[in-house]
This record gives sequence, C-alpha cells and structure tokens, in this order.
Amino acid sequence: MVELKIYSKLGEKIAKKEFILTGELEPEKTCDLSPYVVAANVTDSPLGIVTINSMAASHIIQKEANLEVIWQLTVRDVNKLGIAGMIMGAQSLGIHNILSLTGDHTALGDMPESKPVFDLDSATLVKLVREMVDKGSINGHEIEAPPKLHVGAAANPNAEPMEAEVLKIGRKAEAGAEFIQTQVVYDLDRTIEFLTEINKYKVPVLLGIFPMKSYAIAKGFDTFVPGVSVPKEILAKWKSVKTDISDKKQQNELYDQYNYEFFKPFIKELRQKNLLAGIHCMAVHYPRIFPKLMAIIQD
Amino acid sequence: MVVITTKKPDEEVFEALENYKIKKLALISCGTCAALCQTGGTEGAEEWKNKLEEKGYQITSVVVSEDVCDNRVMKKDLRKIDDELRNSDAVLTLSCGLGVQSIVTVLQNKYPEMPVLISNNTKFIGMTERIGRFYMRCRACGDCYLNYTGGICPIATCAKGLMNGPCGGMVDGKCEVGNYEKDCGWILIFNRLKAINRLDLFSRLRDARDWSESGHQQEVVFR
Repeated sequence: MVELKIYSKLGEKIAKKEFILTGELEPEKTCDLSPYVVAANVTDSPLGIVTINSMAASHIIQKEANLEVIWQLTVRDVNKLGIAGMIMGAQSLGIHNILSLTGDHTALGDMPESKPVFDLDSATLVKLVREMVDKGSINGHEIEAPPKLHVGAAANPNAEPMEAEVLKIGRKAEAGAEFIQTQVVYDLDRTIEFLTEINKYKVPVLLGIFPMKSYAIAKGFDTFVPGVSVPKEILAKWKSVKTDISDKKQQNELYDQYNYEFFKPFIKELRQKNLLAGIHCMAVHYPRIFPKLMAIIQD
Repeated sequence: MVVITTKKPDEEVFEALENYKIKKLALISCGTCAALCQTGGTEGAEEWKNKLEEKGYQITSVVVSEDVCDNRVMKKDLRKIDDELRNSDAVLTLSCGLGVQSIVTVLQNKYPEMPVLISNNTKFIGMTERIGRFYMRCRACGDCYLNYTGGICPIATCAKGLMNGPCGGMVDGKCEVGNYEKDCGWILIFNRLKAINRLDLFSRLRDARDWSESGHQQEVVFR
C-alpha cells in the first residue's frame, strides 16, 4: 500500500494501524453509534430500491450527528462525468471516505424501468478517486481544489470460485483501494483462507459481520441474502431462544450473549493471525450490540 | 450473425394501423434474419396477410425480400411493386428496425407521405444455438475486447457490462439479474481464461469503456 495522506478519522486509524470498528446506517436512521464506531457506512439505494441520495444523507448525518461517514457510492446510476462531479461535491460537503461499489442492478429494485448505467465499475471508480485526490486531476485536466478523500472497496469471502474473487481484489488494490470492507461472513475456515489469499495485496481489511438481533432476523438473512448462509447450528440456537423463552427482555439478553459468544472467538482468531484491520458491523436496527462488540475488540 | 426480433403484440400493430388510418397496405417481409426468428419470411407474411384481411384490410402486395436492410436490394424489389405501392396507404414491414429504415430511405423520395410501420421488436445481435434459441453475445459497442477476455464479451454477457467483474451480484457462478438462473459473464470469462492458461489477462485492471466514439451516431464509410 502506498503511503497515504490522512483526510479522515478512518484514514488516521488505518494509517496508525489501530483496530477499527465501523457501522452501517440506512439513511433514515438516527445515529447513536458515535461513541463506538469510527465511522458508519451510508448505503446507496441497496437492492436497487430508491432511497434518499446517499451523498445528501451522508452530509446530513455528519453535520447533525457528528458521526464520520463512509459514503457508499455505486456506479449503477451515474456515468463517469456525473460521478466525478459528485466526488467534488462530496468534498465540498465535508465527506472524506468513499466505499466504491458496483451496486445492485436496477432490474432488482423498485424502479426496474430505470436505465442501468455502469459506465465505471467498482475498480475504475477507485482509480478515478485516486487520480482526483492524488494527482489533482481528471483525465489529465487539473482540478483547482482537488478532493481529499479516502476510497475503499468491497470483497466477498463467500464468493465461489474464490480464485476469481481474489484476483478481482488484486485489481482493486492495483486501482488504489485504501481499505476493504467484506461481505458478511459466518464461516471461519473460509474467511481465514480468503483473507490469507488477499493478504498479499496489503490492503487493510475490515471484516463484515452481522450480529443477529433475533431468530426472525437470522432466518431472514439466511433465506433472503444471496450467497450468505447462516450456519445451521446458529439458526438452531437462535430458534431455541425464541421457542424456549417467553420474556422479551430475557430473550434479548440471550441473543446478545449468543452473538458475543459466536463472534468473540471468530474475531480473536482472525486478529491473532494478523488478518484484520478492523470490523465492519452491519447490524442495522441493533445498536445495543455495539458495547458488546467493543468488549470483544478491547479484550 | 442474426438481428434477433420478436413479434409485437397484434393489438399494438393494429393500433398503429388505426392511428395512421390505414386501409390498404403492402407487406414487406424479411427472408433472412426475421425468417429465422419466425417473425418474417414467407410464413410470417402469410400469417399477417390473413390476420389483416380478416380485419378488413386490403393487402396490395406481399414481398419476401432476402435483404430488406440493403438499400440496393430494396430499391429493386420495390420497383417491381410500384403499381401496388401507388395503390397503398402504407407499408407494413416484417423485419428488424433496420428494414423499416431501409424502406423509408428508399421510398421517401417517390412516396414522401407514405408511412412505413413495423410488426416486430428488434432485440439484439444474436448467436444461434438452434432455431428458437438465440443469445445476445455482442452489443456492437465499437471496440472489441475479445482478444483479452477469452473470446467472451463482458459488455454482452455481464448484465452490467462491467470491465472488471465479477461483481458482488454473482453467486455460485450465476447472476443476480434473472434470479440466479443465467451464468455470470465474468465467471464464464474466468473459466475460459483459466482453461487457456491466461489468468494473467483476468487479473489485469482494465480501464473504463471509452464511449467517446461510440456514444453517438455511428457510420462506417470507406469509399
């Protein structure tokens, strides 16, 4: 990884090699994670379902909640010219982290008649950001006041064939990705194998985790999120909470405890192997898990 | 190479004919691509002739042409039915979009007020597996990358036309578009490049597609 300038708290933590916790926000949610996370991702119309623009939401969250954001920017809806303009706009709004994503296809969402753009892809978007930030130019044309942003990329340890995914991460690294946030993982052996493979690219990795607030959430995640399966033993354990315990408070405490018990050794082992720069926790609607996660991280 | 067409719903075609207040019309049917797609040819022309006559339309002429999209061929074929054309309100074309425009080009000097309508939708440039199974494998984007992608086009086979796939929408080699039933184009490319021992090409970071030449009207004029 190239020696980087620091434009954000996230950038600073990456540079200092401090263990990082990031969260995820759906744009309409409030931001009570600030005591725990360094920054929070703000999604860009996930599943192709239109929401408030992620750049506008990022700006408002940062301004109102004083919580640093990682602006998720997909290449689905805007061409290269538009995206370059948005990157400069983001700088002017005080946004300093971008997660470069392809974006779920418009055909999947609630406006399937929209034209899918995909002028860039997630790797060429990283390259564009780095050109604008590092060289202060676009297509060789100087930017009067260049943006100061960090740019990261996504990786999917669950992808099959894994070799194709690993080589793809190599491209994102070559393009200049400064950090990686992964898709949600539950399979430790596979995660170790994948992270070991991409270790050669020397891009700090924030592991995507999804602590499950209830059996319904766990089951839903297992059923509806393509390519990610929640292990059967977890589903059985979470189901037992739902069926065996009637008191809501006790249920919640047990779910929290089970999450803690599952993720603690998981994260510990990966850290011992020096495979992680941090955790990216996607437990939207489950802020009470964050103190427990902090306990794992600080242990 | 075949320009793949499908039939427009009958109601849509009749609606257009009514919109133009057409009573008498000549049918020009493509005997090549549309015949292969069963949207034209002799059978298609016969089918439309019957449907139209049932509804009271008068068919002045039926021409099945081997090259509707070639202005020269069209000129010759239309000259043969000039009397019938003079007696027609419009032409209905059973071809791809090129056919209609070829006929308009040829007709518009002599019959500037004659509408040329179409019975088909033009889908894509297709590869034929067998009759009734056609697949989009080229988007005619103007700059072929096939030498570096194992002979499989990412613009046509990747649902997002990405230059650096696969994306996160790939699960077990299948694409998120179409409920994971179609192959991910980039996994096809990966498998092919692996088979020919050229994964170095897969690893390569490719620049974004350059649309500066092909993002607008195209023509090839060399003489």
